[in-house]
Amino acid sequence: MGRKRFRYILRRAAQAVPVLLAIIILTFLLLKLAPGDAAEVLAGEAGSASPEYMAQLRQRFGLDKPTHIQLLAYMKNVLTLNLGFSFRHSMPVLELIMGRIGPTLLLMGTTFTLAIGFGILLGMLAATRVNTWRDSLISILSLVSYATPLFWVGLMLILVFSIRFGWFPTSGMENIAAFHEGWNRVFDIAHHLVLPAITLSLFYLAVYTRLMRASMLEQAGMDYVTTAKAKGLTERRITFKHILRNAVLPVVTMAGVQVGGLLGGSVVVESVFGWPGLGLLAFESLFARDLNLLLGIFAFSACLVVAINLSVDIIYTFLDPRIEVR
Amino acid sequence: MKAKNISKIFWILVLVAIMAIPSIAFAQKRGGTLVMLVQPEPPNLAAYTTTSAPVGMVAAKVYDGLAEYNFDLKPVPSLAESWDISPDGKTITFKLRKGVQFHDGKPFTSADVKFTVFEVLKKYHPRGASTFRDVTAIDTPDPHTAIFRLQTPAPYLMMALSGYESPMVPKHLFENTDIRNHPNANKPIGTGPFKFVEWNRGQFVRLDRNANYWKKGQPYLDRVLVRFIPDSATRTAALEKGEAHFAGMGAIYYSDVRQLEKLPHISVTTKGYEMSSPIVELYFNTKKKPFDNQKVRQAISYAIERQVVIDNVWFGFGKPATGPINSNFAAFYTDKVKNYNVPNGIEIANKLLDEAGYPRGANGIRFEIVHDLTPYGEEWRRFGEYVQQVLERLGIKATLRYEDVATWLRRVFTTYDFDLSNNWIQNLADPVIGIHREYHSNSIRPGTVFVNCTRWSSPETDRLMDQATVEPNPAKRAALYHEFQKLVVEAAPVVWVHELKFSTVTHKTLKDAVVSPLGVFSNFDRAYFDK
Repeated sequence: MGRKRFRYILRRAAQAVPVLLAIIILTFLLLKLAPGDAAEVLAGEAGSASPEYMAQLRQRFGLDKPTHIQLLAYMKNVLTLNLGFSFRHSMPVLELIMGRIGPTLLLMGTTFTLAIGFGILLGMLAATRVNTWRDSLISILSLVSYATPLFWVGLMLILVFSIRFGWFPTSGMENIAAFHEGWNRVFDIAHHLVLPAITLSLFYLAVYTRLMRASMLEQAGMDYVTTAKAKGLTERRITFKHILRNAVLPVVTMAGVQVGGLLGGSVVVESVFGWPGLGLLAFESLFARDLNLLLGIFAFSACLVVAINLSVDIIYTFLDPRIEVR
Repeated sequence: MKAKNISKIFWILVLVAIMAIPSIAFAQKRGGTLVMLVQPEPPNLAAYTTTSAPVGMVAAKVYDGLAEYNFDLKPVPSLAESWDISPDGKTITFKLRKGVQFHDGKPFTSADVKFTVFEVLKKYHPRGASTFRDVTAIDTPDPHTAIFRLQTPAPYLMMALSGYESPMVPKHLFENTDIRNHPNANKPIGTGPFKFVEWNRGQFVRLDRNANYWKKGQPYLDRVLVRFIPDSATRTAALEKGEAHFAGMGAIYYSDVRQLEKLPHISVTTKGYEMSSPIVELYFNTKKKPFDNQKVRQAISYAIERQVVIDNVWFGFGKPATGPINSNFAAFYTDKVKNYNVPNGIEIANKLLDEAGYPRGANGIRFEIVHDLTPYGEEWRRFGEYVQQVLERLGIKATLRYEDVATWLRRVFTTYDFDLSNNWIQNLADPVIGIHREYHSNSIRPGTVFVNCTRWSSPETDRLMDQATVEPNPAKRAALYHEFQKLVVEAAPVVWVHELKFSTVTHKTLKDAVVSPLGVFSNFDRAYFDK
């Protein structure tokens, strides 16, 4: 079993290489199609520039060379695991991405834990009392939180809980003027994490609640449940031991797909709460035509998505031993 | 015993009184952390290779220039204690301040000045090449004297010496390095009142007090933290809650400024933008029909109601503009030009369009155009919608087009694939630096942004600008610019809508944060908290 699993992982990793290359080539060409280049944006931000300065920038960024040469140069870098240099930030791309990965993982991890945990719980509560007031209330709430724009939820939370009641800070990841250390810093960051995590998880919570509810109801009608009832098992035991385990599979699948997207960050929540995540960095570099950085982020998140999907497939085999890796 | 106690109390009181004297004599209190909001986050802090506003706002706290400026737009001493300009205007002798140190402890000398101008600013600064164009040599007879040799007089040079425009960088760190890829770009070392400590990307830049600053006892603040919050509503909330104390230059949206203004702990000022002097403008593509026709351009100029735009789009933050030069420049400005801001503008405009040979068609439409909007914020869309309505009253059907920054820049400044676009341009410190670029024929340079994109020029105006560039006599120089304004306004390659008034929103306890015409680009050396 262990060896089989290992070989499976190796094979999947090998399959991922062409996918990654395709992603890089496609994004590179797509970005090249967009009008304007990094030199123009930099000069545009500066408000003025001489032609000599513009030519100098282009030469330095390698933008004066033909597109296929630029692509080849980039591919060569990537294959040697060098994500290149962001001329705009005057910093290596890897360093920029690494600086953002911590806050991104923190926000996304918290969001996912909240969304999956409460999603499963609420979905279960709704499904076990289907068509009662409890079910309706949960369904309505999830519909509302799914339909409300994230930025609006974020701003309302700030208005109510930071400005009106003063319970939470408006934005940022920590109180930078306070120089907390040790546990104080952990609490401070957690304090700053509350509002953005709630905002972002509300959206996903709704998805998982509805998915869980539907999946539970579907499982409840299955033959094995009838059999379990005939055996005289208690309702509670049937729900937790039999239905729940099977019903959770689609939620895990969905989460696996979405976690990739979440790792890319949430531009909206990051910008409303000034959270220093990857999404915002990608967003900014797109508008700045910072090609190296953007490609670096794409390559990086593509790797993560591949890795996470792989681990989801492995998790399946634990949840449902009938599923085998081949 | 009792008497002893009383005398003890007496002496304590005396001591307290003595200790209190300095704080009475110097109302400025030491200490405190100033949190400043800057938007967007700068890509780097290499102020010597860019004039980008967010870079300048942060880096100007770290770098000094040879001079600072007062509200009369006159240079005052900074790293240069004094200067002497020869009568022919071709030699400027700067006496440098003694005992000034860079943040790494090395002394600042005339060698740094020479290196900065020749090896850094002239080569890599977007405006440096033109600012120092006429400087052929800098003599450094001793460490505290720098003599600029010029081939022709350059009166505008003295206006471009601030720490924002021409930061003095340390030669010992930059010499024999690749200046464009220097690590200093992200951890600047200058002579300024605040030292760079760290930059946590996406969050903040931390600048700590420079205890060895050459202004004794200054700065008063312990620390400046520059925070980056991408969402405009959250920035407003952070100021309202007191998490931040300072936000300038459009960091707070105009309507939010009007809201914050009402709060007891917030103050708002429009001072501190006299050296950027932005003007909101509409650019015509004068090489393309229909705006190749001067009458059509004049018609649009007549039709735009300046005050309506100011009140409704910019929430009152503006003043009607009359021409290419901002009225802040009292020395050069004149309002003795063709006046387009008249009550019956629409009427005149319709008449002009008829005369120009664009009669209304059967459907009441004269012609159709696309109106491009500069992608620097919501207000430009509103402004575009207003222009669209005005044009409709003239029988011109305008379609609005809103693209991202890179696309818009290429369209307007490289391919010239536009009819009419809105934008704002800064007049900067001197017309040579800020205004010639928009009207001179040698500024028609495809691929270079924020230069002459209307492609209008005339031999007369070119000549006037060339003469003004080298004219050392202020009165004669002013006369040249007065004539220039008259000609340009008549030709109307641009609609000068209004002089935009940026605002700076501060916490009331923060004092002396805006003390020069460079405002947010000055260095907070005098700022303090009065709690």
